[in-house]
Amino acid sequence: MNILTVENLCKNYPAFQLKNVSFQLEKGKITGFIGRNGAGKTTTLKSLFNFIHPDSGRVSFFDMEFAEHELEIKQRVGFVSGGIDFYPNKRLRTITAAARPFYPQWDDGEYRKYLGLFALDETKTPAQLSAGMKVKYSLALALSHHAELLILDEPTSGLDPVSRDELLEIFMDLCEKGVTILFSTHITSDLEKCADQIIYIKNGAVLAQSELRHFVSGYRIYDLTKEQLTPKLQARSLGTARSKYGYSVLLRADEPLGFDAPEQQATLEEIMVHLEK
Amino acid sequence: MHPTAPIFLMLSAMLLIPNYPYYVIFFYTGLAIFFTCLNGRENHDVAYTVQLPVAKRDVVKARFAFVLVLEGVQTAAAVPFAALRQSFPMPGNEVGMDANVALFAFSFVLLGLFNLVFFSIYYRNVRKVGKAFVVSSITVFVYMGILEVCTHLIPFLRNRMDTPDPQYLTEKLILLAAGILLFAVLTWAAYQNAVRRFEAQDL
Repeated sequence: MNILTVENLCKNYPAFQLKNVSFQLEKGKITGFIGRNGAGKTTTLKSLFNFIHPDSGRVSFFDMEFAEHELEIKQRVGFVSGGIDFYPNKRLRTITAAARPFYPQWDDGEYRKYLGLFALDETKTPAQLSAGMKVKYSLALALSHHAELLILDEPTSGLDPVSRDELLEIFMDLCEKGVTILFSTHITSDLEKCADQIIYIKNGAVLAQSELRHFVSGYRIYDLTKEQLTPKLQARSLGTARSKYGYSVLLRADEPLGFDAPEQQATLEEIMVHLEK
Repeated sequence: MHPTAPIFLMLSAMLLIPNYPYYVIFFYTGLAIFFTCLNGRENHDVAYTVQLPVAKRDVVKARFAFVLVLEGVQTAAAVPFAALRQSFPMPGNEVGMDANVALFAFSFVLLGLFNLVFFSIYYRNVRKVGKAFVVSSITVFVYMGILEVCTHLIPFLRNRMDTPDPQYLTEKLILLAAGILLFAVLTWAAYQNAVRRFEAQDL
């Protein structure tokens, strides 16, 4: 069974286009959806649920077309858009009470378990929660109706390193229980810690969908001096960037530099920075 | 529901004011609807609701159900005050239409007009609730103004409709039925418009 299949999603705005975005998610895997700000991550995620109407393309969850099975699909999916920003002055207890009747499979025991695990106080309001706690509350809601797929739009943005790490560990625990996670981020170190796969979007088009390790091992970074960075090398490189002692150049791993220079395995961040330049 | 909604319902008691443009009382329902939608916008209610297992069409349906209940309760709450006003040993309303069956007939049309204009604009862009309220308020006040002027100028309205009940009750009841029918048509059109526009809206 395919958890999520996206085919040729297109959306035209005057200043931005989503171009034939296609990808698939595997069950029980964490997939990072990366790209710089404005690359089309949020537009894509919102299009999955028809919050934004794609001009063309097809979205199916659990082998069901979204348009025809919207309610059933929403029962099985949790969408978290950067933590809750709705009803900031209502108590969590009240918000939960409003959400609960919409989910026939709501599990109060599970909800209590996650409240305890995440140290959430139901008498607090979202306005009183930190950014990390807001994401945790959203997760608690999604997990209490046994969401099989979590789609999170930049859940770690604005969190301190400790909270981010805590959240990533929660993702990994959930993943071990069979939950599939797709989360968008531009914080590449988060993905290096927990993601199995990545989908890389640039200027509204998917540049790569691959296993993270495989993707990263496909590139090398070379540290060069100004003299070594010839126009010819610049033309065949995938991207160059200034570094403290000169320049760094990104090349495919199977493409030799042609002369000796310090080289290293590229990190996801270095790949992204060079490809975007 | 915004907390002012039940307070505005109590303004039905303004029918006891001896001389007053009574249609304004029904405008307060529109104000309560505006505050409710404004409150929803400030709390990101639409974004929250569409994340639930609810179809966009049903989000609109729920809002219309709430509005119909509110308008129904407002109208029902006004009936005893209209009856009380008529029992006062004093002349009818000097400003405009008396608190009688005809007032309710025209008020149903007022509510229907408000629904059509307000929700057609609101569901085109739920962030622009202020624009929806300004345009619908202008529409409703122009309608009220025309009605009150006509009540003084047009003989049928002045001599037959602007009279204490049960005078000309048959004509007034026919007018009431027409008012309710028009309310239903306008509100149905508002609902259809709202669903179509909300479905097409990027949130």
